[in-house]
Amino acid sequence: MPPVIEHILVYVDGSEQSITAAQYALLLAGTTGARITALYVINTRALDDLVKASIFLMEEQEEYARDIEADANRYLNLVGDLARRKGVAMETVSRKGSIHQEILTAVREMNIDLLVIGELSRIRSRRDELYNDSERAMRQTGCTVLVVKDEDRVNDLFESDL
Amino acid sequence: MAIIDLVAPEVIKVGLEAKDKPSVLRELLQILIDAGKVTNKDEILSALTKRESLQSTGLEAGIAVPHAKTQAVSALTLAIGICAEGIDFDAIDQQPSKLFFLMLAPPDKSGPHIEALAEIARMSKSKAFISALIAAKDAQEVMDLFGE
Repeated sequence: MPPVIEHILVYVDGSEQSITAAQYALLLAGTTGARITALYVINTRALDDLVKASIFLMEEQEEYARDIEADANRYLNLVGDLARRKGVAMETVSRKGSIHQEILTAVREMNIDLLVIGELSRIRSRRDELYNDSERAMRQTGCTVLVVKDEDRVNDLFESDL
Repeated sequence: MAIIDLVAPEVIKVGLEAKDKPSVLRELLQILIDAGKVTNKDEILSALTKRESLQSTGLEAGIAVPHAKTQAVSALTLAIGICAEGIDFDAIDQQPSKLFFLMLAPPDKSGPHIEALAEIARMSKSKAFISALIAAKDAQEVMDLFGE
């Protein structure tokens, strides 16, 4: 029988929930021997929308794009450090575009069989439901999705196994 | 970060008293000072004015989104002001602005800042929602509309 999980993709957006998801995904990769990739999406779609809506000037778009690229590097380095601490080989990837679309494309292109995401924020309005990128990716992807919860337990597990 | 995470009755003012652009910026900022969200009024006002000098953030349909990235706040901060009669804000359609979203963000929170502004951009496409916000009688009604 082939391995149940061959390639894990963990989506990292810099939130505490996504870092917890990365910790859990690393534990899972360490246990199963699965390959693991961390993905950060630079939301250029939102920047384009802000220029189209005349909220941003072109100069602001460029400035904020640089800021988000720096965020991407910072958070991917952070999860890269976590992987090294665990002795797990992890690839880190950043993509540009619409968040949920880029997650779906990465899943497809990398033949991902498990997408790991952080705990979803509570839905408080219909707009939340329509525009939560992680939730949209979770609903639309063809692969199995794992939503990591219980931050304290995951952190304890991660630290205890070092 | 969603707008609903940033709104609270104390950062919403229905019935702005300002009559022109400089005074509406000051009045919006005062909402945040009164709510204990910001202290350095001059620094923030300077950042907002600098941005407005490049191009007005007064959009179409009576919406204005003055915003700035500033060290004077430690978290994403929003004030909402409503003036049903409208205030001249040099909007791109030359119409008075009625609904103001003042957004401030520290330099290291660009991601959430963009997400929140993008949500406002999406909201601005819903004429019914914007009309309902402009017609709101008080802060609680605004809160209720965001929660729907």
